[in-house]
Amino acid sequence: MSGPSATALIADDEPLLRERLAAQLARLWPGLDIVAEARNGREAVDLAEQQTPQVVFLDVQMPGLDGVEAARAIVGAAPRTIVVFVTAYEQYALQAFEQGALDYLVKPIDDERLATTVSRLQDRLAGAGPHDPPGVAGAADVAMMLDRLAAQLGSAVQAPRAGGHLQWIRASVGQAVRLIAVDEVIYLRSDEKYTLVAWAGGEALIRKTIRELADELDPQRFVQVHRSVIVALAHVSQVVRGPNETAEVHLKARPERLPVSRSWLHLFKQM
Amino acid sequence: MGRIDLASLALAGGLAVVAAGMLSFTFVTPFRVLLGRTLCLALGLLLVYHGAQRWPERWRPRWLPRWLLTTLAVALAAPVVTFVVYVASVGGDLDLLLDSGPWIRGLTTTSLSAFAVGIVLTLAALLREREARALALELQLELERSRVERQAAEARLAQLQAQIEPHFLFNTLANVQALVESGSPRAGPLLGSLAAYLRAAMPRLHAGGPTLGEELTRVRAYLELMQMRMPDRLQWRIEADAAVEPLPFPPLALMTLVENAVRHGIDPAEDGGQVAVTAARGDDGTLRASVADTGVGLAPTAPVGTGLSNLRERLAALHGPAARLVLSEHSPRGLRAEIVLPA
Repeated sequence: MSGPSATALIADDEPLLRERLAAQLARLWPGLDIVAEARNGREAVDLAEQQTPQVVFLDVQMPGLDGVEAARAIVGAAPRTIVVFVTAYEQYALQAFEQGALDYLVKPIDDERLATTVSRLQDRLAGAGPHDPPGVAGAADVAMMLDRLAAQLGSAVQAPRAGGHLQWIRASVGQAVRLIAVDEVIYLRSDEKYTLVAWAGGEALIRKTIRELADELDPQRFVQVHRSVIVALAHVSQVVRGPNETAEVHLKARPERLPVSRSWLHLFKQM
Repeated sequence: MGRIDLASLALAGGLAVVAAGMLSFTFVTPFRVLLGRTLCLALGLLLVYHGAQRWPERWRPRWLPRWLLTTLAVALAAPVVTFVVYVASVGGDLDLLLDSGPWIRGLTTTSLSAFAVGIVLTLAALLREREARALALELQLELERSRVERQAAEARLAQLQAQIEPHFLFNTLANVQALVESGSPRAGPLLGSLAAYLRAAMPRLHAGGPTLGEELTRVRAYLELMQMRMPDRLQWRIEADAAVEPLPFPPLALMTLVENAVRHGIDPAEDGGQVAVTAARGDDGTLRASVADTGVGLAPTAPVGTGLSNLRERLAALHGPAARLVLSEHSPRGLRAEIVLPA
């Protein structure tokens, strides 16, 4: 059987996988016309707008705009579009949709599983007359599901951002701009114009001010102990009190001592 | 520290019997009486020995090592305990004891014998205890060493297992399947690349340490696979001095950097980029291996991945502070990571 005629878009950043899915669909559903192939999420959204396919096959992991974001944009513009996600391995966030308004396929896609999806798509397209909402769920439901999915995958795919704190410090060393992981940094100390960053393997001057750094660094790991000094707590060996309510910070891996001014002395009261 | 156990009691008793037997040749005193005295003496000295061994650390003078303290205590105790035993055997009558020549002679002989035997036995016992302690320490060290080795092996295994990302594996398999189905002649070589890549994740069975050449083979296999998957977005090249290929190199160190470059540099970029791998000896004799990409670069708030922090720890564990992992910005865009190993 050739099945009813319909239009579809395939989006995957890997060309061989686009070709293979197109070939499988040509076998299983000759009536389906692949009107566009997209290489990333942004292209998928653009091409979907131009070609208005009835079905979009979207790879979940694509550069730039990912599959879920692309789906939100496409369904937002054309609520009747039916979305089928393609993913490299079982993602449990997607399993919830297997029987619902959204479908998903796992790579490598086998013909049997694709045939099930094809017959579901044909049923839904047949049921969706000009005045009916598409498929089982209404367009509004689909949009809501996509929002939820984006939230779920957003937290899973893009690893936690470590609270948005500064993780890398750019420092010019000779010709190069070194990137120093903040967990290697021992202390930062400023003079008039520059700030010195010191780590176990060396030191360099950076343009950021102590004030900026104090705002951007994780306060759990770095404390400002002086108007011009920030120190990494993990690298402090001891704090030695001096006369007149002053103190000095001694470091584990470096010989220099750092001043603690009166207003920050309370930080070490319990140490 | 030794305890008063049956063996030490038996030894003290046995020695007392022997001493009593020997003394009975020179003394007129009956053997039973002599045995009573030597037994008391042996037990007394045994108690003094253990007392000295347990003497609290804070009451021991700095200049007096414990072995000397114990030996001195036993040596001093020998005449004292002998005297006490003799006083007891004359019923506490000191006059009788001190006025009688035979008594004085017996007391002196016994004291001196107890003194000599006590010192020799104490030193022997101390030596034995030290050997036992050394043995225990060695066993403990051995245990510690095997524990560390096991931990290292487990860490290695965990790292290797973590290397094969399901996304990578299944996407790659899907690509290979596409090539096989379409009858493409590229399918065969690519399966070879996949095998070479996967081999890196298997426990090593052959002898000989891992080399940079092997690492470059894996890296090449990985880049070939990735280029099959994103032919229009990934270009790559490897430039390595043939001279550095036989050098030892921590396995997967370069691979971690190359995977990072592709996954976090090239893949998020819609128009892709280039990955350049180089390996050569520096002017200072160090081995320098670098991976530079022209991808999206590193955001200042991007968390330090486990791959990078593991790699940093491994380099430090293998070569100390002489090994470095240096990250820098690549111009005009992207990231450059360099591993520097000491000469």
